[in-house]
Amino acid sequence: MSAGDGPVLRGVGIMHRFGATTVLRGADMAVHRGEVVAVTGPSGSGKSTLLHCLAGILQPDEGEVWLGAERIDRWSEARRTALRGSRIGFVFQFGQLLPELPAVENVALPLMLGGVRRAAAVEQAASWFGPLGLAGLEGRRPGQLSGGQEQRVAIARALVSAPEVVFADEPTGALDSETGQRLMELLAGLAARTGTGLVVVTHDAEVAARCDRTVTIRDGRTAPVGVAAAPFAGAEA
Amino acid sequence: MILRTAGLSLRLLRLGGRPALTSAGLVGAGIAVGTVLLAVAFGAIHGWGAREDRSGWRTEEPVRAAAAPVALLRTTPDIVAGRAMDRVDLAALQPGLAPPPGLPRVPAPGEVWVSPALAALMRQLPADALAERFPAPAGLIGDSGLRGPDELVAITGRTPDELSGTGTPVAAIGAVGPSGIEIYRQLTYVAAALLVFPVASLLGASARLTAARRAERLATMRLLGASAGQVTVAAVTEVTAIATCAAVIGVVGQWLLAPALAAIPLGGGVWFAGDLQPGPGTVAGIVGGVAVLATFAALGGMRQVVVGPLGVVRRQRAGGARLLRLLGVAAALAIFAAVNGMLRASPVAVVGLVFAVGVLAMFGTVSLIGPLVVRLLGTRMTRSARSPAALLAGRRLLDDPKGAFRPLAGLTLAVFVAGFIAPLTAVLSGADAGDDTALRVAAAPGTVTDLDAAVRERLAQRGIAADVVLADVGGDPGLEVTPVLPADRDRVRTALDPLVPDPVRTAGEADLDGSTLVGDLERGAIVVLAGTFLIAATATGTAAAARVLDHRRTLRLLRLAGTPLDVLDAARRAETLRPLLLVGGIALGLGLLCASPFTAATGALQPSGLVVLGTTVVAGIATVAAAAAASRPLLRSVTTAPAHED
Repeated sequence: MSAGDGPVLRGVGIMHRFGATTVLRGADMAVHRGEVVAVTGPSGSGKSTLLHCLAGILQPDEGEVWLGAERIDRWSEARRTALRGSRIGFVFQFGQLLPELPAVENVALPLMLGGVRRAAAVEQAASWFGPLGLAGLEGRRPGQLSGGQEQRVAIARALVSAPEVVFADEPTGALDSETGQRLMELLAGLAARTGTGLVVVTHDAEVAARCDRTVTIRDGRTAPVGVAAAPFAGAEA
Repeated sequence: MILRTAGLSLRLLRLGGRPALTSAGLVGAGIAVGTVLLAVAFGAIHGWGAREDRSGWRTEEPVRAAAAPVALLRTTPDIVAGRAMDRVDLAALQPGLAPPPGLPRVPAPGEVWVSPALAALMRQLPADALAERFPAPAGLIGDSGLRGPDELVAITGRTPDELSGTGTPVAAIGAVGPSGIEIYRQLTYVAAALLVFPVASLLGASARLTAARRAERLATMRLLGASAGQVTVAAVTEVTAIATCAAVIGVVGQWLLAPALAAIPLGGGVWFAGDLQPGPGTVAGIVGGVAVLATFAALGGMRQVVVGPLGVVRRQRAGGARLLRLLGVAAALAIFAAVNGMLRASPVAVVGLVFAVGVLAMFGTVSLIGPLVVRLLGTRMTRSARSPAALLAGRRLLDDPKGAFRPLAGLTLAVFVAGFIAPLTAVLSGADAGDDTALRVAAAPGTVTDLDAAVRERLAQRGIAADVVLADVGGDPGLEVTPVLPADRDRVRTALDPLVPDPVRTAGEADLDGSTLVGDLERGAIVVLAGTFLIAATATGTAAAARVLDHRRTLRLLRLAGTPLDVLDAARRAETLRPLLLVGGIALGLGLLCASPFTAATGALQPSGLVVLGTTVVAGIATVAAAAAASRPLLRSVTTAPAHED
């Protein structure tokens, strides 16, 4: 673990309801720079809802969310959307790339949304392909990539704008275990190198066991479980 | 096995909850609208046939008997209150003759039967303006003998001597002769052809609406071991079932709309609602045809998704718009040129059908060239894109030009129709109807002086002030009578009725059929344009919704990852408006070309042509904007769906 001075992201006492159903009942969570935190729990326990509240996708009914020194949970929808485009990265289970865009333009998109000129954005995006083992695939469309390759393109897209935190929601869920393992090592290694906090929502106990820290959520409440027994190789680097 | 698979598909649709029913509702709405318009076109064709069956025996040119005539028949056009009226004189040559349609018996000499509308007008107008022309009618002509409920017609029994020389000997009362209806029927064929492609494009867009959702479900079925054939059956069953239900709703809708449509005057009058309701065979054909078209569209949509044995849905790169299409364009243009050449030589009974083939060929050109132009535009936009929205739009156009053209196809075709109609309306609105002040009275050779005296006497007896002058009437000596009070025109006509066998009309009234046709063409053009735009608006809206639904997962994840809704919206705008302007311009040119056999394209620059074109441009852009706006809540909804839905 390579934690900084204070948490880069912090959620305090988060409560959230969907209609009459209370999904989160006072969840707490903090992530430090370069730290890899696993969020585990049974289906329906509120993992994804917690992730969405922390990322500013949902507004919690109660509680606070802080990104660095800024409290973001009361920001407007437009401001939170802009925040996600620049300071937060996402990796989902599948289907997150635009099928019409070549891989390199998928990666360049967040930069262009942030105002970077197209040529510069594409050049910067292309520089991620070599380290991710994707060299030569820049011009391929998502439909022409394997599942693992697609997820690596998604990782590049999540990291290209140098976010402070990356949220990965079941990033290995659609991959075989070996590919999933390699992908997690890659993601954790890149997060550590760039000092990005990484939150991984996972069902996979093996993935969780190798994160710096695991937070379990049950009945809408969080509980720390422990530290990694065998951290990802990349994360130690 | 097929039935079981089909049953399972329908069960999945039923159990699919609100999203499935919403999608099915959108598909059904699009197909129902298309079906209504198809049924309207078929209803109109049916209507002309029904009118002809009832009134075709009493045209101005009845079928002349080759031998053994049974009656003498003469139909004379007349005018009252500015409306056309037919005066039919009938003399039986044999006893026991079958009565004409709408009458209980053959009228005896001197006996007059009038239509209900004429009877009402006789009560409404002063007797010396109309009723004196038909003293003491024996009864009313039934609906089965009328073109429409407002037709003004009188059937008078005559002796054979009275019609000797002026009546046409006929072999049967019911024989249908050539009439003005034929040109209307031919024009309706052209109008139907103008509607066919937009309706087909609407059906295609509607049937593809749920392609993505079906693909997901089919993937699961494939995973469970369903064969490729079973998956196909399951896919088409849903669309076919929805299309069939929607087509039934569409024909019922048209049936219910028929009374309102019947109030649109065409061919000189309004309609009986029943005339516009096609028969059971036609209705079954429409429903079956729509279901088959929708099924083919669904199969076409399936080709884009290959479901592997492991249930993995892989989106194939959509087939690009190949340059090979230019060959099709060349062939279509060659067909149009050939049709153009054949038009003048074609008999009137098929001229509409021949021209309809030409219209379809030009439609084909627009449909073939559209995706090609979209592809070229996509290439250009992608190369020059500076913003994410422009890049997204350009890539989407380039990635699937046919799919990108689909939402615009209806509108493009509507623009084509406007291009075709604009110069024609200019010609029609500029048509000169002739003088409409002086009533012209034809005189038999050598009698004009006597007639002059008789006319003056009759007018004086009735106290009608009018200028009477000798004049040339149709190449022969005659009189022109101009009443001092224009309102006295029908009184003059009634006063002079016993003096001359021919109708007393102004030059403008003599061309009433022509001006009626001009008015009908203008009304017909508006109806076709309105219908085309209704289809186009539905197709564009449906396709816009389909695109959002097809890409809802990606759009949602993009939004979650921080892509503003405005960027997604701007991309959607760019990928519709820019191709529309370009392809619409080409379609407009082709529409003008299509009208070239009738008038020069510069006619579109006349005020009425410019009104049509301007309205079309505004309506087209407004339609796209409305479709985008209508699907924006859907975009917002799918991109902000609650987290627990995934």
